[in-house]
Amino acid sequence: MRTHTSETVLALYVSGDLAWWRRAAVRLHVGRCDRCRRRIEWHRTDLARIREAAAWMPEGVDWNRLASEMTANIHVGLAAGECVAPRPRKSIAVGWRPVAVAAGVAVVLVGAWWLNTPPVLTHSLGRGGMRPALTEDRRPVVEATESGIELRENGSSLGVSQGTARPVAVSVNVQGSASARYVDADTGQMTITSVYVQ
Amino acid sequence: MRLALLFMAGIVAAGAQTLSRKIELPPDSPVTLVSADWGESSATARGGAFLLDVHAGLSLRNSSQRRIRGVTLAVLAQEVTPGGKGSVSVPSLDVAPGDTFPLRIDLPLLRPLGAGTGPLVEVKLDGVLFDDLSFYGPDKLHSQRTMTVWELEARRDRQYFKKLLEQAGQEGLKQEMLASLGRQDDRQQPGVQMVRGRTTNTEPEREVRFAFVQFPEAPIESQDGLARVAGNEARAPRIDVRNRSDRAIRYLEIGWIVKDQQGREFLAASMPADLNLAPGRSSQVVQDAALRFSQRTVIQSMTGFVSHAEFADGSYWIPSRAALADAKLRGVIAPSPEEQRLAQIYRKKGLGALVEELKKF
Repeated sequence: MRTHTSETVLALYVSGDLAWWRRAAVRLHVGRCDRCRRRIEWHRTDLARIREAAAWMPEGVDWNRLASEMTANIHVGLAAGECVAPRPRKSIAVGWRPVAVAAGVAVVLVGAWWLNTPPVLTHSLGRGGMRPALTEDRRPVVEATESGIELRENGSSLGVSQGTARPVAVSVNVQGSASARYVDADTGQMTITSVYVQ
Repeated sequence: MRLALLFMAGIVAAGAQTLSRKIELPPDSPVTLVSADWGESSATARGGAFLLDVHAGLSLRNSSQRRIRGVTLAVLAQEVTPGGKGSVSVPSLDVAPGDTFPLRIDLPLLRPLGAGTGPLVEVKLDGVLFDDLSFYGPDKLHSQRTMTVWELEARRDRQYFKKLLEQAGQEGLKQEMLASLGRQDDRQQPGVQMVRGRTTNTEPEREVRFAFVQFPEAPIESQDGLARVAGNEARAPRIDVRNRSDRAIRYLEIGWIVKDQQGREFLAASMPADLNLAPGRSSQVVQDAALRFSQRTVIQSMTGFVSHAEFADGSYWIPSRAALADAKLRGVIAPSPEEQRLAQIYRKKGLGALVEELKKF
């Protein structure tokens, strides 16, 4: 099956906009392909019509005068643009004192949070951002995940954790409790912690 | 600036509260308190409640004349408030008379601001299980039943591993431990929430019928069951059961397995039921509760199995290891606490330590 040259390449060939080596390749193909040769003829005809139309000027037009008017209009447009351009803003000098005060307040707030928030809550918040969202419920809810168990109520959560230890199993009881099993790495002792929703 | 700092320091001081704590053991308790370390415990005001972050290390002594197999402590901030009650259990113990053992408490609890004078946590003994399966304690958390089942499972599994050691040697025990650890690592536990009552899901519901794994040896036969399912939620399960034993049954627990749209199966919850089921009679287990999974989960099907039962005479039935080797259950349900403890001993301390542990009792 013969592969024909694309319309775009043929049009560029006719307008003389192809690189020399592409032009040579198209010429070689056109010499053997009637279809592409016909299309090149159509493109040439179209190009000639476009050039003819572009060359037409109304009767009595003074080209030099028309060019001067267009240049003048462009200059007027540029001048008007300068008039409506936004003024450069005067920068407001910011002293170091307000910045220092804001930084100090931020340090106090972070410190208050750090001192007041139990590690388990911080841990729960961290875990909350990583896990797939479970729908919120305003009623007390017990939740079990691979990381441990939690009691949720009114959108806030209380998580059970034993430091960095992960539970070896978690379970949920439909009567309203969740349990997590932990094994102490040193003693091998199993501890099962449960929370109750009712 | 100074005023702002003083103000913030005031907030810090007001938020932190001293946590009052009390450990209450009955005068005739078989365990006595040797020491208690409440080092990291704290209480913080949050909205209308205190958030109690309880971390304690207790040392208890067996002051009875029998060996202790399990202990459960109730940890209470406010018994009737959701989130005000927790418990810590230590199964698989073997504490001789006079010996001490540690017990670690790590629990978050809620206590309403108006309840009593301030943040207070109470630790009470709920129960002690002895090696002859006798029990001491108020049993408000039904710890007698729970600890007895754990102890029966522990005996079953220790017996299995001891027999394996005798018959297949240390290499056979090692292979079994590796297989157990592999199953535990492969077992999936997607997040699940449980809420009592009806949920607020607006998706259209459909009734999904339970399939059942039947154990021929079980005293209970699960006959039929349904739950209402909408997307990632399942609620209101009801299961028809029949007592096929010759003894009355007063309690049973059914495991609830869920399969999602990707074909993954996991143990979603356990369904306990108090019954009075005479031999040959049928009953229906109904729970007004809902399970909710992550929003990516779509429940495709459900399976149930009877995990244990209690007879009216106080004896128990638990599945044998052969029954639990069922292909459907094997990769889904967690092994007993004792098997998990033994597997961790093998993982952390090696085969020699495991063999020594099996020789202890």
